[in-house]
Amino acid sequence: MHLVQIEHVLAVAGGVVVFVVASIALRNDWKTPGLDNQVFKLMLGLLALGGVLAALTGLGVIGKA
Amino acid sequence: MAVVSIPGGGEVDQLYAETRELRLQGFLLFLVSDVVLFSSFIFAYLYLRNSGQGWPPPGITRPSISLAAVNSAILFGSGATMHYALENFKRGNFLRYSSLMLWTILLGILFLCGQGIEYTTLYVQDHVSWAGSGIFGASFFTLTGMHGFHVFCGVCYLIVLLLQSVHGVYDKNKYFGLTAGTLYWHFVDVIWVVLFSIFYLI
Repeated sequence: MHLVQIEHVLAVAGGVVVFVVASIALRNDWKTPGLDNQVFKLMLGLLALGGVLAALTGLGVIGKA
Repeated sequence: MAVVSIPGGGEVDQLYAETRELRLQGFLLFLVSDVVLFSSFIFAYLYLRNSGQGWPPPGITRPSISLAAVNSAILFGSGATMHYALENFKRGNFLRYSSLMLWTILLGILFLCGQGIEYTTLYVQDHVSWAGSGIFGASFFTLTGMHGFHVFCGVCYLIVLLLQSVHGVYDKNKYFGLTAGTLYWHFVDVIWVVLFSIFYLI
Protein backbone atom coordinates (compact mmCIF):
# COMPACT_ATOMS: atom_id res chain seq x y z
CA MET A 1 0.00 0.00 0.00
CA HIS A 2 1.42 3.38 -1.03
CA LEU A 3 1.76 6.29 1.37
CA VAL A 4 -0.91 8.25 -0.53
CA GLN A 5 -3.39 5.39 -0.15
CA ILE A 6 -2.68 5.18 3.58
CA GLU A 7 -3.26 8.93 3.83
CA HIS A 8 -6.57 8.57 2.01
CA VAL A 9 -7.72 5.79 4.36
CA LEU A 10 -6.68 7.83 7.42
CA ALA A 11 -8.48 10.90 6.11
CA VAL A 12 -11.71 8.96 5.50
CA ALA A 13 -11.58 7.21 8.89
CA GLY A 14 -10.68 10.40 10.75
CA GLY A 15 -13.30 12.43 8.92
CA VAL A 16 -16.07 9.93 9.65
CA VAL A 17 -15.08 9.69 13.34
CA VAL A 18 -15.01 13.48 13.66
CA PHE A 19 -18.38 13.82 11.94
CA VAL A 20 -20.03 11.21 14.20
CA VAL A 21 -18.48 12.56 17.43
CA ALA A 22 -19.27 16.20 16.59
CA SER A 23 -22.85 15.29 15.62
CA ILE A 24 -23.39 13.42 18.88
CA ALA A 25 -21.93 16.32 20.89
CA LEU A 26 -24.13 18.75 18.97
CA ARG A 27 -27.23 16.66 19.65
CA ASN A 28 -26.38 16.39 23.37
CA ASP A 29 -25.79 20.14 23.70
CA TRP A 30 -28.71 21.19 21.53
CA LYS A 31 -30.94 22.36 24.38
CA THR A 32 -28.19 23.77 26.59
CA PRO A 33 -28.70 27.51 27.23
CA GLY A 34 -26.03 30.23 27.54
CA LEU A 35 -23.95 32.33 25.16
CA ASP A 36 -20.92 30.04 25.33
CA ASN A 37 -23.04 27.01 24.46
CA GLN A 38 -24.57 28.79 21.46
CA VAL A 39 -21.06 29.43 20.14
CA PHE A 40 -20.10 25.81 20.88
CA LYS A 41 -23.08 24.60 18.84
CA LEU A 42 -22.05 26.73 15.87
CA MET A 43 -18.48 25.51 16.09
CA LEU A 44 -19.48 21.86 16.51
CA GLY A 45 -21.63 22.18 13.38
CA LEU A 46 -18.66 23.54 11.45
CA LEU A 47 -16.44 20.82 12.93
CA ALA A 48 -18.88 18.18 11.62
CA LEU A 49 -18.72 19.89 8.22
CA GLY A 50 -14.91 19.72 8.41
CA GLY A 51 -15.13 15.99 9.10
CA VAL A 52 -17.31 15.51 6.03
CA LEU A 53 -14.87 17.53 3.88
CA ALA A 54 -11.89 15.48 5.11
CA ALA A 55 -13.72 12.20 4.46
CA LEU A 56 -14.88 13.24 0.98
CA THR A 57 -11.35 14.39 0.16
CA GLY A 58 -10.00 11.03 1.28
CA LEU A 59 -12.53 9.32 -0.95
CA GLY A 60 -11.46 11.49 -3.89
CA VAL A 61 -14.95 12.97 -4.35
CA ILE A 62 -13.77 16.55 -3.86
CA GLY A 63 -10.44 18.33 -4.12
CA LYS A 64 -7.84 18.70 -6.82
CA ALA A 65 -4.76 16.51 -6.69
CA MET B 1 -15.81 36.37 50.30
CA ALA B 2 -19.55 36.21 49.56
CA VAL B 3 -20.76 32.99 47.96
CA VAL B 4 -23.70 32.79 45.54
CA SER B 5 -25.64 29.88 44.07
CA ILE B 6 -25.49 29.24 40.34
CA PRO B 7 -27.97 27.48 38.02
CA GLY B 8 -27.29 23.76 38.27
CA GLY B 9 -26.90 23.65 42.02
CA GLY B 10 -23.28 24.69 42.68
CA GLU B 11 -21.83 27.67 44.51
CA VAL B 12 -19.18 30.16 43.41
CA ASP B 13 -17.79 33.38 44.83
CA GLN B 14 -19.73 36.53 43.97
CA LEU B 15 -16.96 38.17 41.96
CA TYR B 16 -16.75 35.14 39.66
CA ALA B 17 -20.54 35.02 39.24
CA GLU B 18 -20.69 38.73 38.39
CA THR B 19 -17.78 38.81 35.97
CA ARG B 20 -18.15 35.48 34.14
CA GLU B 21 -20.46 36.82 31.43
CA LEU B 22 -18.26 39.89 30.93
CA ARG B 23 -15.16 37.75 30.58
CA LEU B 24 -16.97 35.50 28.13
CA GLN B 25 -18.04 38.49 26.03
CA GLY B 26 -14.50 39.84 26.15
CA PHE B 27 -13.08 36.52 24.97
CA LEU B 28 -15.64 36.27 22.17
CA LEU B 29 -14.66 39.77 21.06
CA PHE B 30 -11.05 38.62 20.94
CA LEU B 31 -12.10 35.71 18.72
CA VAL B 32 -14.08 38.09 16.50
CA SER B 33 -10.94 40.24 16.11
CA ASP B 34 -9.06 37.11 15.04
CA VAL B 35 -11.83 36.32 12.56
CA VAL B 36 -11.36 39.81 11.08
CA LEU B 37 -7.60 39.23 10.83
CA PHE B 38 -8.00 35.91 9.01
CA SER B 39 -10.85 37.23 6.85
CA SER B 40 -8.75 40.07 5.52
CA PHE B 41 -5.97 37.70 4.49
CA ILE B 42 -8.44 35.17 3.06
CA PHE B 43 -10.25 37.77 0.96
CA ALA B 44 -6.92 39.20 -0.24
CA TYR B 45 -5.90 35.68 -1.30
CA LEU B 46 -9.22 35.05 -3.09
CA TYR B 47 -8.98 38.41 -4.87
CA LEU B 48 -5.44 37.71 -6.06
CA ARG B 49 -6.37 34.19 -7.06
CA ASN B 50 -9.26 35.34 -9.21
CA SER B 51 -7.30 38.13 -10.83
CA GLY B 52 -4.54 35.85 -12.14
CA GLN B 53 -4.37 33.39 -15.03
CA GLY B 54 -4.88 29.96 -13.54
CA TRP B 55 -4.17 28.86 -10.00
CA PRO B 56 -1.64 27.85 -8.84
CA PRO B 57 0.48 29.85 -11.32
CA PRO B 58 2.33 27.87 -14.00
CA GLY B 59 5.40 26.06 -12.70
CA ILE B 60 4.16 25.77 -9.14
CA THR B 61 3.00 22.42 -7.77
CA ARG B 62 -0.22 22.27 -5.79
CA PRO B 63 0.39 21.05 -2.21
CA SER B 64 -0.42 17.38 -1.48
CA ILE B 65 -4.13 17.05 -0.83
CA SER B 66 -3.93 13.64 0.84
CA LEU B 67 -1.49 14.84 3.51
CA ALA B 68 -3.65 17.92 4.05
CA ALA B 69 -6.75 15.74 4.45
CA VAL B 70 -5.05 13.59 7.11
CA ASN B 71 -3.78 16.72 8.85
CA SER B 72 -7.31 18.16 8.77
CA ALA B 73 -8.79 15.00 10.27
CA ILE B 74 -6.16 15.19 13.03
CA LEU B 75 -6.98 18.81 13.85
CA PHE B 76 -10.75 18.27 13.70
CA GLY B 77 -10.31 15.20 15.89
CA SER B 78 -8.49 17.33 18.45
CA GLY B 79 -11.53 19.66 18.47
CA ALA B 80 -13.73 16.71 19.38
CA THR B 81 -11.40 15.52 22.17
CA MET B 82 -11.22 19.08 23.55
CA HIS B 83 -15.00 19.36 23.62
CA TYR B 84 -15.36 16.09 25.51
CA ALA B 85 -12.53 17.09 27.88
CA LEU B 86 -14.57 20.12 28.95
CA GLU B 87 -17.75 18.04 29.25
CA ASN B 88 -15.95 15.54 31.49
CA PHE B 89 -14.52 18.32 33.64
CA LYS B 90 -18.03 19.74 34.14
CA ARG B 91 -19.19 16.31 35.31
CA GLY B 92 -16.27 16.03 37.72
CA ASN B 93 -14.56 13.18 35.85
CA PHE B 94 -11.03 14.53 36.23
CA LEU B 95 -9.14 11.46 35.05
CA ARG B 96 -10.97 11.31 31.73
CA TYR B 97 -10.66 15.09 31.38
CA SER B 98 -6.87 14.90 31.82
CA SER B 99 -6.47 12.09 29.30
CA LEU B 100 -8.63 13.88 26.72
CA MET B 101 -6.66 17.10 27.25
CA LEU B 102 -3.43 15.17 26.70
CA TRP B 103 -4.88 13.70 23.50
CA THR B 104 -5.85 17.18 22.35
CA ILE B 105 -2.34 18.49 22.98
CA LEU B 106 -0.81 15.47 21.26
CA LEU B 107 -3.06 15.85 18.20
CA GLY B 108 -2.23 19.57 18.07
CA ILE B 109 1.49 18.77 18.05
CA LEU B 110 0.87 16.09 15.41
CA PHE B 111 -0.89 18.67 13.23
CA LEU B 112 2.10 21.01 13.56
CA CYS B 113 4.43 18.15 12.59
CA GLY B 114 2.24 17.45 9.53
CA GLN B 115 2.45 21.09 8.56
CA GLY B 116 6.22 20.96 9.00
CA ILE B 117 6.40 17.95 6.66
CA GLU B 118 4.25 19.78 4.12
CA TYR B 119 6.40 22.91 4.25
CA THR B 120 9.60 20.89 3.95
CA THR B 121 8.24 18.92 0.99
CA LEU B 122 7.11 22.08 -0.78
CA TYR B 123 10.41 23.82 -0.17
CA VAL B 124 12.86 20.99 -0.83
CA GLN B 125 11.10 19.01 -3.59
CA ASP B 126 8.96 21.61 -5.33
CA HIS B 127 11.00 24.76 -4.53
CA VAL B 128 7.93 26.65 -3.37
CA SER B 129 8.92 29.20 -0.76
CA TRP B 130 7.42 32.18 1.00
CA ALA B 131 9.56 34.71 -0.81
CA GLY B 132 10.42 33.07 -4.11
CA SER B 133 7.10 31.82 -5.42
CA GLY B 134 5.15 34.98 -6.03
CA ILE B 135 1.64 35.50 -4.81
CA PHE B 136 0.88 31.81 -4.37
CA GLY B 137 3.79 31.09 -2.04
CA ALA B 138 3.29 34.33 -0.13
CA SER B 139 -0.42 33.84 0.48
CA PHE B 140 -0.16 30.10 1.16
CA PHE B 141 2.67 30.36 3.67
CA THR B 142 1.29 33.51 5.30
CA LEU B 143 -2.19 32.11 5.89
CA THR B 144 -1.23 28.56 6.84
CA GLY B 145 1.74 29.86 8.86
CA MET B 146 -0.49 32.30 10.74
CA HIS B 147 -2.90 29.46 11.44
CA GLY B 148 -0.03 27.21 12.50
CA PHE B 149 1.14 29.91 14.90
CA HIS B 150 -2.37 30.00 16.37
CA VAL B 151 -2.25 26.21 16.80
CA PHE B 152 1.16 26.50 18.48
CA CYS B 153 -0.20 29.17 20.86
CA GLY B 154 -3.25 26.96 21.46
CA VAL B 155 -1.05 23.99 22.38
CA CYS B 156 0.86 26.17 24.88
CA TYR B 157 -2.44 27.49 26.22
CA LEU B 158 -3.82 23.96 26.67
CA ILE B 159 -0.66 22.84 28.48
CA VAL B 160 -1.06 25.80 30.88
CA LEU B 161 -4.75 24.96 31.38
CA LEU B 162 -3.94 21.33 32.11
CA LEU B 163 -1.28 22.31 34.64
CA GLN B 164 -3.66 24.81 36.24
CA SER B 165 -6.41 22.23 36.57
CA VAL B 166 -3.94 19.71 38.05
CA HIS B 167 -3.08 22.35 40.68
CA GLY B 168 -6.75 22.89 41.49
CA VAL B 169 -7.25 26.32 39.93
CA TYR B 170 -10.59 25.17 38.46
CA ASP B 171 -13.44 23.18 39.93
CA LYS B 172 -16.67 21.90 38.42
CA ASN B 173 -18.51 25.15 39.22
CA LYS B 174 -15.74 27.54 38.27
CA TYR B 175 -13.98 26.71 35.01
CA PHE B 176 -14.11 29.77 32.76
CA GLY B 177 -10.48 29.28 31.69
CA LEU B 178 -11.34 25.87 30.30
CA THR B 179 -14.37 27.25 28.47
CA ALA B 180 -12.17 29.93 26.92
CA GLY B 181 -9.57 27.32 25.96
CA THR B 182 -12.22 25.15 24.31
CA LEU B 183 -13.64 28.14 22.42
CA TYR B 184 -10.15 29.06 21.19
CA TRP B 185 -9.40 25.52 20.08
CA HIS B 186 -12.73 25.24 18.23
CA PHE B 187 -11.99 28.58 16.58
CA VAL B 188 -8.64 27.25 15.34
CA ASP B 189 -10.47 24.20 13.93
CA VAL B 190 -13.12 26.27 12.21
CA ILE B 191 -10.52 28.54 10.58
CA TRP B 192 -8.82 25.42 9.23
CA VAL B 193 -12.12 24.29 7.64
CA VAL B 194 -12.01 27.51 5.60
CA LEU B 195 -8.28 27.34 4.82
CA PHE B 196 -8.48 23.68 3.84
CA SER B 197 -11.37 24.47 1.50
CA ILE B 198 -9.76 27.44 -0.25
CA PHE B 199 -6.25 26.01 -0.62
CA TYR B 200 -6.95 22.36 -1.36
CA LEU B 201 -10.56 21.89 -2.46
CA ILE B 202 -11.41 24.73 -4.85
